[in-house]
Amino acid sequence: MTQTALPTKGRPTSGLGAPSGPRKRTFTVTRGLIVLAFMAPAVIFVAIFTYYPMISGSQMAFRKWNLADLTDTSWVGFDNFTAIFTDPTFFTVLGNTAIWVFASIIPQLLIGFALALWLRRRFRFRGVYQALIFFPWAISGFLIGIVFRWMFNGEFGVINDLLVKIGIVDTPVPWLAKPGTAMFALVVANVWYGVTFFAIMILAALQSVPDELYEAAALDGASKPRVLFQITIPQIATTLALTVLLRVIWIFNFPDIIYAMTGGGPANQTHIVTTWMIETTQRGDYGHASATGLIVVAVLLVFSAFYLLALRERKEVRS
Amino acid sequence: MKLRKALTGITLSLATAIAMTGCTSPAADGTVTLQMVESLTNPARTQVLKSLIADFEAKNKGVKVQLVSPPTDQADQKLQQMLQAGSGIDVLEVRDLTVGPFSKNGWLYDMSHDLDGWTGWGALTENAAKFSKNAEGKSYFVPYGFYGLSLFYRSDLVKEAGFNAPPNSWQELLQQATAIQDPSKKRYGYAFRGGKNGYTNVTVAIEAYVADQIDVNNAYKLSSGKSIFSAPEAREALKTYFALFKQASPPSSVAWGYPEMVEGFSNGSTAFLLQDPEVIATVGQSKAIGKDQWTTAPMLVGPTGKAIQPMATAGWGVASSSKHKQEAVKLIKFLSEGEASIRFTKENSLVPILKEAVDDEFYKVGAWKSYVTMNQKPDVYITAVQPRDASWWTEWAQKADTEVQQVLAGKMSQEELLASWDKYWTEKWAK
Repeated sequence: MTQTALPTKGRPTSGLGAPSGPRKRTFTVTRGLIVLAFMAPAVIFVAIFTYYPMISGSQMAFRKWNLADLTDTSWVGFDNFTAIFTDPTFFTVLGNTAIWVFASIIPQLLIGFALALWLRRRFRFRGVYQALIFFPWAISGFLIGIVFRWMFNGEFGVINDLLVKIGIVDTPVPWLAKPGTAMFALVVANVWYGVTFFAIMILAALQSVPDELYEAAALDGASKPRVLFQITIPQIATTLALTVLLRVIWIFNFPDIIYAMTGGGPANQTHIVTTWMIETTQRGDYGHASATGLIVVAVLLVFSAFYLLALRERKEVRS
Repeated sequence: MKLRKALTGITLSLATAIAMTGCTSPAADGTVTLQMVESLTNPARTQVLKSLIADFEAKNKGVKVQLVSPPTDQADQKLQQMLQAGSGIDVLEVRDLTVGPFSKNGWLYDMSHDLDGWTGWGALTENAAKFSKNAEGKSYFVPYGFYGLSLFYRSDLVKEAGFNAPPNSWQELLQQATAIQDPSKKRYGYAFRGGKNGYTNVTVAIEAYVADQIDVNNAYKLSSGKSIFSAPEAREALKTYFALFKQASPPSSVAWGYPEMVEGFSNGSTAFLLQDPEVIATVGQSKAIGKDQWTTAPMLVGPTGKAIQPMATAGWGVASSSKHKQEAVKLIKFLSEGEASIRFTKENSLVPILKEAVDDEFYKVGAWKSYVTMNQKPDVYITAVQPRDASWWTEWAQKADTEVQQVLAGKMSQEELLASWDKYWTEKWAK
């Protein structure tokens, strides 16, 4: 890899016409300006497109900021947060978010793990199967939501058609009309979508487990469950933990499928925090939406902290 | 030397950054480029609009129009962001839903002076002229067409069920839809709207029941000044309306929005559908039902034999930040006159804004007949303006949709719904 103009004691460098070879670089104004010049576009873009919206959005949370009337955007302190915490819908939404995350992640993990174990074996057309399994990850969440919305349609959806023909139900189920069945349908769609990610990640981890371990276990006559629980899982445990944490963060922050399938209905019963925030934005109440966004950030920071800790642990184990 | 190189690097970097942020300068040859943003985007409509723009450009040398067509779902937000930024828009699509907040925030230009003495005024229908000016006489947009409801019905199923004519009233609709409903054959009476914007049909039913007492300038108000939701007749309206769901609609229609309703009618599952004229073209393409199996009937009347036609509209307006207002108004006049306007309304299945278009043969045949009937009987099919320009309309729509679903789920009574809606509007009007 090419080294930058930063001082790199005792290591070869090759920057900006300097001959390669071990030498110590000293800081000069010119070199500093060159570094600044190269950094400037990135810094400007990150400042404009990341930090400015973030800061601008955050201060809205403490203001009255409604698109219906922007002539008054006065400071309101924590009023937007108070409004959120005193709204009974918020607690329904929080509960739904927990269900959405955990009900989605467990089947995603289990099915993804099973698929990864299957794909690790060598068989004909394995590449084709891999491509088919990884395909959903390339589709937009919103599009998946629309497709599943029609599939779960009570009257002309394919799911009811199949269930009635197989004889599992006598009459079509109005899936999206009731909160319980609607949430179930949403989770099914999300599991279908998310299994892929687990399969990809776990397959990559499985391929790093040395074959010698399995050969030794086979010589010792270890049973398949024992190999799974005493070799495979311990070997990929950190990857599993990291993947689960990463997915928790993503699913928490993933309104696409819900937005397209139920729009948070019926009667707000399938809203999660992010879809609820979108709805607030649609009615122009950016102050309320920003406050909700900050609450989401606070929750996700906790998961991110766990994620970073797990990541550091893996690095330490590897080193 | 090195310092010069470094400074050149910084300058180039900054120049690249600035160029990529999209800063533009006016054309050197004096050509004015208008940025036009639509919001109810669909590919077919965009094509028609582009063709009309080409005609405008051909007749107005030196003016170019750049059409921006964001996806419908994100269009309003994109428009708001652009308007808030204060640049990048000259002409925009303004809807009865958005004119309130947009004008309140000072984003729309009042065209009333530019439209003084406009020859096009005389050609506009009464409704188009009325909607072109608000209560204060300001012209924030000129409508390009109207969305008016009519009852789409399956003539064959109505006949099979033993009825000689389509329903005329809400009560008759309940009766016919119930007779047609047969879930074992996957046949349902009414394409009930329980999902997004489900409240709109609830209010239409209530308005029909209080038609005699309604304030035509505010279809949510009685002439007494109280809200329509406070009237005893509103309870009767809700009984009939929600009975339609229980007796004559698909069970999953609690979650049905526009796509499911239209699909339900188009694929032959439901016999009745209350929708805008744009659906005429969609149903016309159905392969499940033939053209001789369906048509439209006028809106459903209440017990007094009258109905309220809640005209929804959208049109073209000019952004207050536009630097080319004169040219922008010129474009709006062009789109609101003669052949351009007639073509736009015909190809988008809209109720026209021009008097001459109303007499066009196109609007006198087939599914459009019911609109002629309604136009001929203004005392029966009364046009009233819903307060859709209220800045809190979206908030209201979300609240009303949620509560309609709560009633459907049995978590709220019909009386509670009316009390809640009455309280909401009474408090809003008191502010």
